[in-house]
Amino acid sequence: MNKIATLATAFILLSIGGCKKYLDQQPLTAVGSEMVFKDVPTTLQALAGVYGRLAGDNAYGLKLALHYPVDDDILMGPSGNNDDRRGMAHFSLTSLNAELAAPFNQLFEGIMLANICIDEIPKMEMYSSGAEQEKKQLQRMYGEALTLRAQFYYEALRNWGDLPGHFIPSYIQASTEPFPLRIDKDVLYDHILADLKDAANLVPWRNEVAGIGDQVDERITKGTVKALRARIALTRGGYSLNQGGTVSRPSNYLDFIKIARDETNEIITSNQHSLFPDYKGLWKDIVCGRKTVDPNGELMFQVTAIGGGGTADSKFGYANGPRVNGAGNSFVNPLPSYLYLFDSTDVRRDVTIAPYDVQVNGISKTGMAITAMRDGKYRRDWISNPVVSPTSAVQYFGLKWQLIRYSDVLLMFAEAENEINGATAAAYDAVNMVRRRGYGLPISSTSAVDIPAGLSKADFFKYLVRERALELGAEGIRKYDLIRWNLLGQGLKEANDNMALMGLRSTTSMSYTYMAGYPTYAAVPANLPSNMYFRSAAPLPGGDNSSIWVHSYYKTNTNPGTGNTSVAWVNSSLTTTMITPTIPRYGYINFKTGKSELFPIPQSAREANKNLSQNPLY
Amino acid sequence: MIKGRVTDDTGVPLQGVSVIPKGSKTGVQTDKDGNFSISLPGTGEATLSFSYTGHKPTSVSTDGKSALSVQLERNAATLDDVVVVGYTSVKRKNLMASVSSVGAKDLKDVPINNVAEVLNGRLAGVTATTSEGSPDANVRVRIRGGMSITGNNDPLYVIDGVQVENGLSAISPQDIQSIDVLKDAAGTAIYGARGANGVIIITTKSGKPGRTIISYNGFYGVKKIAKVLNVLDPYEFVAYQAERSRLQGGSDSTGFLNSYGTTWDTLNVYKSYPFVDWQEEAFGQTGNTTTHNVSASGGGKKLTFNLGYTYNRDKAIVINSSYNRNLFNLKADYNITNKLKVGTSSRYSNLNVYGAGVSADNGSSSLSRLRNAIKYRPYTSNAQDVEDYTDPSVASGIGNGLNLANPIKLANSEFRRKTTNTYNVTLYAQYTISKNLIFKSTLGIDRNERVDRQFFDTLSPQSKSNNSKPFVTLDTTIAKTLSNSNVLTYAFAPSKDHNFDFVLGEETLDIKTESHSNQNRNFPYNVTANYAFDHLDSGAALPTYPRLNKSRSTQLSFFGKIGYSFRDKYLLSANLRMDGSSKFAPDKRWGYFPAGSVAWRLTKEKFLSNVTFLNEAKLRFGYGTMGNNRISDYLYLNTYVNNTRFYGLNSQVVNAYVPSSLPNESLKWEATVNRNWGLDLSLFKNRVNMSVDYYLNTSKDLLLNVNIDPTYGFTSQLQNIGQTENKGWEFQFNGDIIRNAQGFNWNANLNFAFNKNKVVKLGPGQTEAPQTAYGLSGASDYMLRIGQPLGTMYGLNTDGFYTANDFNYNPATMEYTLKSGVVDDIAIIGAPIRPGSIKFKDISGPNGIPDGKIDLNYDRTIIGNPNPKISGGLNQQFNYRNWDMSLFVNFMLDFDVYNANRIEFTNSYSPNSNLLGIMKDRWRNIDPATGESLIWLNSGKVYGVAPDRLSSVNANAQIWQPLISTGAFTPHSWAIEDGSFLRFNNLTIGYTLPVKSVNSFHMSKLRFYFTANNFAIITSYSGYDPEVSVRNDARTPNLDYSAYPKSRSYIFGVNATF
Repeated sequence: MNKIATLATAFILLSIGGCKKYLDQQPLTAVGSEMVFKDVPTTLQALAGVYGRLAGDNAYGLKLALHYPVDDDILMGPSGNNDDRRGMAHFSLTSLNAELAAPFNQLFEGIMLANICIDEIPKMEMYSSGAEQEKKQLQRMYGEALTLRAQFYYEALRNWGDLPGHFIPSYIQASTEPFPLRIDKDVLYDHILADLKDAANLVPWRNEVAGIGDQVDERITKGTVKALRARIALTRGGYSLNQGGTVSRPSNYLDFIKIARDETNEIITSNQHSLFPDYKGLWKDIVCGRKTVDPNGELMFQVTAIGGGGTADSKFGYANGPRVNGAGNSFVNPLPSYLYLFDSTDVRRDVTIAPYDVQVNGISKTGMAITAMRDGKYRRDWISNPVVSPTSAVQYFGLKWQLIRYSDVLLMFAEAENEINGATAAAYDAVNMVRRRGYGLPISSTSAVDIPAGLSKADFFKYLVRERALELGAEGIRKYDLIRWNLLGQGLKEANDNMALMGLRSTTSMSYTYMAGYPTYAAVPANLPSNMYFRSAAPLPGGDNSSIWVHSYYKTNTNPGTGNTSVAWVNSSLTTTMITPTIPRYGYINFKTGKSELFPIPQSAREANKNLSQNPLY
Repeated sequence: MIKGRVTDDTGVPLQGVSVIPKGSKTGVQTDKDGNFSISLPGTGEATLSFSYTGHKPTSVSTDGKSALSVQLERNAATLDDVVVVGYTSVKRKNLMASVSSVGAKDLKDVPINNVAEVLNGRLAGVTATTSEGSPDANVRVRIRGGMSITGNNDPLYVIDGVQVENGLSAISPQDIQSIDVLKDAAGTAIYGARGANGVIIITTKSGKPGRTIISYNGFYGVKKIAKVLNVLDPYEFVAYQAERSRLQGGSDSTGFLNSYGTTWDTLNVYKSYPFVDWQEEAFGQTGNTTTHNVSASGGGKKLTFNLGYTYNRDKAIVINSSYNRNLFNLKADYNITNKLKVGTSSRYSNLNVYGAGVSADNGSSSLSRLRNAIKYRPYTSNAQDVEDYTDPSVASGIGNGLNLANPIKLANSEFRRKTTNTYNVTLYAQYTISKNLIFKSTLGIDRNERVDRQFFDTLSPQSKSNNSKPFVTLDTTIAKTLSNSNVLTYAFAPSKDHNFDFVLGEETLDIKTESHSNQNRNFPYNVTANYAFDHLDSGAALPTYPRLNKSRSTQLSFFGKIGYSFRDKYLLSANLRMDGSSKFAPDKRWGYFPAGSVAWRLTKEKFLSNVTFLNEAKLRFGYGTMGNNRISDYLYLNTYVNNTRFYGLNSQVVNAYVPSSLPNESLKWEATVNRNWGLDLSLFKNRVNMSVDYYLNTSKDLLLNVNIDPTYGFTSQLQNIGQTENKGWEFQFNGDIIRNAQGFNWNANLNFAFNKNKVVKLGPGQTEAPQTAYGLSGASDYMLRIGQPLGTMYGLNTDGFYTANDFNYNPATMEYTLKSGVVDDIAIIGAPIRPGSIKFKDISGPNGIPDGKIDLNYDRTIIGNPNPKISGGLNQQFNYRNWDMSLFVNFMLDFDVYNANRIEFTNSYSPNSNLLGIMKDRWRNIDPATGESLIWLNSGKVYGVAPDRLSSVNANAQIWQPLISTGAFTPHSWAIEDGSFLRFNNLTIGYTLPVKSVNSFHMSKLRFYFTANNFAIITSYSGYDPEVSVRNDARTPNLDYSAYPKSRSYIFGVNATF
């Protein structure tokens, strides 16, 4: 027995010696937070994770940019009424819609990642005791994380209403509160507005970026923070659908309008940003030219796209815009009634609307019927640096989504200023700058295209509603503008009415009650062409838009003969495709006020958390 | 010269008994009448050893006699067999654990290459379900239904004393001596961690001293698909497409005209179109299987060895799908001195599996290949042959990625080769310190390298989403396991009545995994798969690739056991194991797993000594706790990786640090308490053996991947949540029914089990946890609910379809509107409800009573139970002279299968897709006689002909109109089917040539046999096969979705011994 005891003791002792260490296995290829939040470059990699959730198919690389913001009074999604991305566009979706869960989840992944950075960065030793430049760089990143969280929340709140509130890392909160309740959206909006106020003090202006040792790229600067805060304040002070089923705005809404006015005013007076003088060049040469930034800082918040896949790239130019060699989804179609809202000399018309597809040679264009026009700001035939071959099967082009442009800042300023002080000179100035640039005119000189002087507050607002449609079309903004103005249902109806007049070639003028209307020469459908003819025989190299047509958009015409092909324009085919199709197409038919302002909470989320109640009428 | 005759204990002569004089190396065998003659060297006394399979070896002294009559006692029930339980060997008669075993004798009847398949149905309480029919399919082995509800319910595999991951994949059935399955705590507790799901102990064949025996086992067989599903023929297919196209507006759409070149009037042309059943094209080929197994075994006093080589080749029924394997094994034992013995048991296997299979590994529906074989247009046109045919009507951007492609073209555009190299090396040294004190140290080195090469040519979905250029993934995974156990055993008998034995041991387990993954795209067109694999740089790596992931987990254990027996009558045993695992936080690291068992051998009692028919009766009881830590590494830590996500800045990829999962620092051991009562009986000269067991197991702190609120930024987290209970009865009978002097033997082995499980507890405040397995619709389809069995199916209750009577009709406008009071399911099907739409039962509503509306929140119920009431198998073996036959059937009764294929293959969500044949009896929207539209939609409203006409055309409709909206994928009870089956698994007929005739070829045995595998099944299940489970997860069992169809095989084989 002694022998046994000795032996047993010996080998047990031997083993126990190394035991504690033996069982202490640390990650090998993964790392702990102390390695991530260690210095500036590694922290930037953590921040890139937060930025990264803006990108890809399930965020601003496709769905949040193209699928979620349609239909409205200027655009519609593609035909079809299935409960899929198309049904979503036309307000006929259910909580099982397959396009809902992934973007919903991704926005909250972004919030989760931002919460980690917000928690960790200020605790870093370098944050408080690093070199001055390191401190500034880390402060910027802290502010960026706050700003990104605000953007994710803003996108979620405007689509789904009340939601759980997460402002600390999930690994702290999830175990104590596994089934969080939905929190009043206004409470959450107030939280992110306060965050953005703090963030603005942490993030440098655009022209200060190089000074703190950062490269000049697409990252957020102080102007972005302020512009975003203005936008969110306008939403907070605007109309929205409540869980009770009513659409209302808060009684103290002017407080929020004032925030928007002050923030935009600060951006304008800072002189950090200005309009890029050439509207077409902005889209064709800078955005489709795949430049990092524009010299004027008009592109204030760009979501980048890279990698050629659904994770961090974008499908613009494939999922929307003219098809090239038959490839593409042309998901977004400008409404016929929208085309004529533009003045004939407004440069923005032919940038925003591309009524053609491109043939296999990459040069010849096929004119599209007025009901099948493509949106044009992201178009594959404009892509350069390098150009894309017309026969390429690529679907991801690395085009960046523009979340906020400086012209939006000017228009938000005009809107807020008008709400508070009426149509002041400053408000006029802001709108007119945008307009003049839109017509290719000198930005600071009075011009014939300026909006009429001496407008009342209410009339000035109507011009503003139209100007935002003309300037920001197909940038994912309009539907949400109409919701905050409580005009979405009305907008859909009036656009539908105007298209009905077009289908009838009516002699009655088209008009809107809530916004400034059509140029007189474009308002009467009977005076517009019944068909348009494009030059199929003689392709024009490099030509786009109106250059493909034989005639003007604004005068009736006759068949010019061989070498030209006809497409349906303002005639009865517009009625059968848009107004009375067998498959409901334009969202006017399915829109229900008190319901359609929000999407349903995805079924999968509700099954994981029973405390997530469903939105009204779903 | 000595002559003699050998018989068994009933007087039946035994043929082939080996007779060896003591001290000699050569001997003779008895002939068919049991006679032998042997010339002995020298004169006088000699001792002859007689040995024969299944009988006790006997030595007989010649005593100078010239003729011997020897009776060999049957080793029936093999009570003296040794079973390796918990680091020591135990005689079966002294077992206190619930053990089921399969021996080489059973294995020889099953010429298949997968060991796990052998287990299915043969052992009470053990099920082995092949997740699908592919040559390398995962076999889900469950002992007593499995306890855990985490993904991993696999038992622990111990091969020749060493724990081996994926124990069954690198071993050939022909090399196995025995498989013992330990089912209760009395057997498994000593294995501690990971013993909770049962332990499968495999002992490989070892050499015996004496002549070197060379054996050859080989077989060749062919296989065919066991069943194909009935689909619509070309005419019916086009007729439905016409119906679908006319639904909007009531007239043939231009899309329909363009796709099919006809209107309804001339549809008859499709009656002459040859029908292409893509199932036949894609999986209808004749497969074949070849196996060669050669082994040499033998040895002398000091060294014994068994050396083997196995070659398997298998061409599957699915096109481009095949499998080959080369396997070497060596087992050797060497006695260095009387006290010191060393040995090894080592294997090397090289496995190649070719073919992309049917379902994607991730179960993604968009990559399901089975769908194409069912749904693709059932004819070709323009005299194209099936390999080149592209359906012009199939659009490429259908929502949710449900694209269709020619299954042959798709299969030809995808190449996959999975290569697995497995090295298992076990080394041991055993030192006998003193007579009863033995020290054994065992070292196991296990290395598993898997290279998965996939090439996607331009037609495949992967290529399509990557610029339509060839795309490659190449993943290498290396898993290295190092285990070491050191065990002291001591037997101590203070007197004849009292016997003690002690085991004291320590074990370490160190598992390292390493994976390298590549994804490259934009290869030049027309590049070959092999070129692309060898020249990855001719494509471009995707951002964050190549990726490297490494992890390591360690485990340290101490264990001890005390056994005591009094006069071999009362047996007691107690053991304790402590396991420490690196997978948990330091304060949660150690688990303590005690167990105890008692047994009473009643037949040793005096009062039973007169009961002559009872040879053995034993009562046993065992109680113990076991643990489970089979989860990923480091889950308690907050860790970040920078090789999954990225963002572009200034046109450069910035790799992003993101957390790999939502950590849970309170993770701890899952624990199972196991109670087992058993009775073993041996009757009528050991000719009938039976065991009955009752068990009651409870598992708590289950390691469960829980769906969490996605607003936390993760959709799931691993948590210790809930409690399950598992109880049941198991019966096992083994009988020598007939043994007669004419040489006819009939042996039968029957087992059956009743298992019941239920969820006892879930997370705090949680009464149910929905699960998603099929999930195309986003709705969950399985449910964990307190009080209900594990893995119940969940969904709406199907209630036929709407008829004209459910609607009000306005003859003036021809509009149909739903009558008030009729249940409305528009929220589910998302399209206007019309006569012929599917209908569901209204179960409840927001106020707790039926609300007239169907929605997922109030109208779903438990609709299926995946657990069979009873399962079992019957194996019968017959011998008549040189002939042998075995028939094995197994069955499972009263359980449900979720036939998700049925949901997808009867809907028409994707236009121009084919349907199952049952949709022929659908509600019609076109009068087949006149071609008139009966129902159509316009601007979201329903119009149609008068109700009378509508009803008369559809008087015989059996099923609804195919669904076309997203709701088409909603799970409902119609897809839950009873899976009860009786399967004729295996029939073997063999003939062994007379010894004399083979002796002239220097052979001692030559047997030919024929086997039919899976040759018939009796079931009412409508899918391919009711034994299916494509998600290898205890929470979502029995899902039939895009599974690889099973085949039927006919095999001819030979066993030869030299």
